[in-house]
Amino acid sequence: MIEIKYFGAVAEKTKCEFEKIVSSEISLQELLLDLEEKYQFNSLSFSVAVNQKIVPKATDFTLKTSDIVALLPPFAGG
Amino acid sequence: MNTSERYNRQIILPEIGEVGQYKLLKAKVLVIGAGGLASSILPYLAAAGVGEIGIVDDDVIEISNLHRQVIYKSSAVGKYKVDESKLMISELNPLIKVNAIVEKLSGKNAISLFEKYDIIVDATDNIFIKYLINDACLVTDKPMVYGSIFRFQGQVSVFNYQNGPTYRCLFPDENVQSLNCEDAGVIGISVGIIGMLQANEVIKMILEIGEVLSGKILVYNILNNEQQKYDFEKSTNFVMDKEAFEEKYKEVENQVEEISVSAILNEIDNHEVLFLDVRNEDEVPKINFKNGIRIPLMNLENEFKKLNPNQTIYVYCQSGIRSKIAVELLQKKEFKNVKSIAGGALAMKQLLKEEKLSL
Repeated sequence: MIEIKYFGAVAEKTKCEFEKIVSSEISLQELLLDLEEKYQFNSLSFSVAVNQKIVPKATDFTLKTSDIVALLPPFAGG
Repeated sequence: MNTSERYNRQIILPEIGEVGQYKLLKAKVLVIGAGGLASSILPYLAAAGVGEIGIVDDDVIEISNLHRQVIYKSSAVGKYKVDESKLMISELNPLIKVNAIVEKLSGKNAISLFEKYDIIVDATDNIFIKYLINDACLVTDKPMVYGSIFRFQGQVSVFNYQNGPTYRCLFPDENVQSLNCEDAGVIGISVGIIGMLQANEVIKMILEIGEVLSGKILVYNILNNEQQKYDFEKSTNFVMDKEAFEEKYKEVENQVEEISVSAILNEIDNHEVLFLDVRNEDEVPKINFKNGIRIPLMNLENEFKKLNPNQTIYVYCQSGIRSKIAVELLQKKEFKNVKSIAGGALAMKQLLKEEKLSL
């Protein structure tokens, strides 16, 4: 089980604030591609965190069960 | 005088004491933006005794601000936010100095303003300005206290603190769009909470207590009270010094596109173009474009909805200065193709005379 958290405008697209996927042997970039295909984030920009740590955009590694991935877009209101 | 009595309840905190209170008195904090976030940042910094507070904003108070910008009164609608917030602070705490700066932050004034303060607080609602603040903080070596809202969620972080990670390390892609409060909707409490957390970071930095949110972004959701912190690291592939800053923000200053009067001649009969006169009703010479409309600049904010944001609009005034302001305003309202006519009505009239045309 990998948990994915969504924030701000990203959560508006996914229409949920978190979900869990049952998947083994999936890499971070594969997961992001899957999510892009599923939700069509298009021009939405966001940073990606794995287990509460932001990772550089191109980073790739195999996710472990119980990893928590978060998609964090910048906010603009004030 | 009554200084120690005023601050007594915080001076008796072991983390503050007389020494901490003196640090607060000596601190200079610049708050960019005097809207919702500033409405909790300003009173709390002022009440705590931060010695000098600068406020930069060129907006006036609108009735639709009041539900979240709680430091303003209904009777102050139409007045400059910085003037009203200065008034509010001087009543709350007359012992501190307040600098009300009625300016829009830009590449031109950012560096010289930031140099006069110790801490810069981002209380804006615009991503472009957030990058500008970040970059000017890098040039002047000041920490930036970031706060931002999306509906019921907020983000807080401190950038460039003791050479720590910056806004660009967290969000490298500056060509992004994110909805501000006007477009996304917002409730006063969420901006209030995030502003309060920003004020807290400012006070901690001044007092050198606790842990500053450097290299961490706090995300707060007021609907379920979940708070999370995410760590991020400094990325080394971005350099910003004074030269790079001037180069970068010089270009953006000229974002208002102008069109020359000679180019206008070919467009006079183009039905797809609208000519917008932003002069007051009594100003002459009149130019009677077939496809023309007059909305004085001072009414534009309220009346822009009469215009079609997808139409090509050429804006003019008497000499080409107010029209640039109008173009900026329309661009903020998502108008896609607006240009300012260089030289304005006077230049057009002159050219029409030379060409022996009349309108």
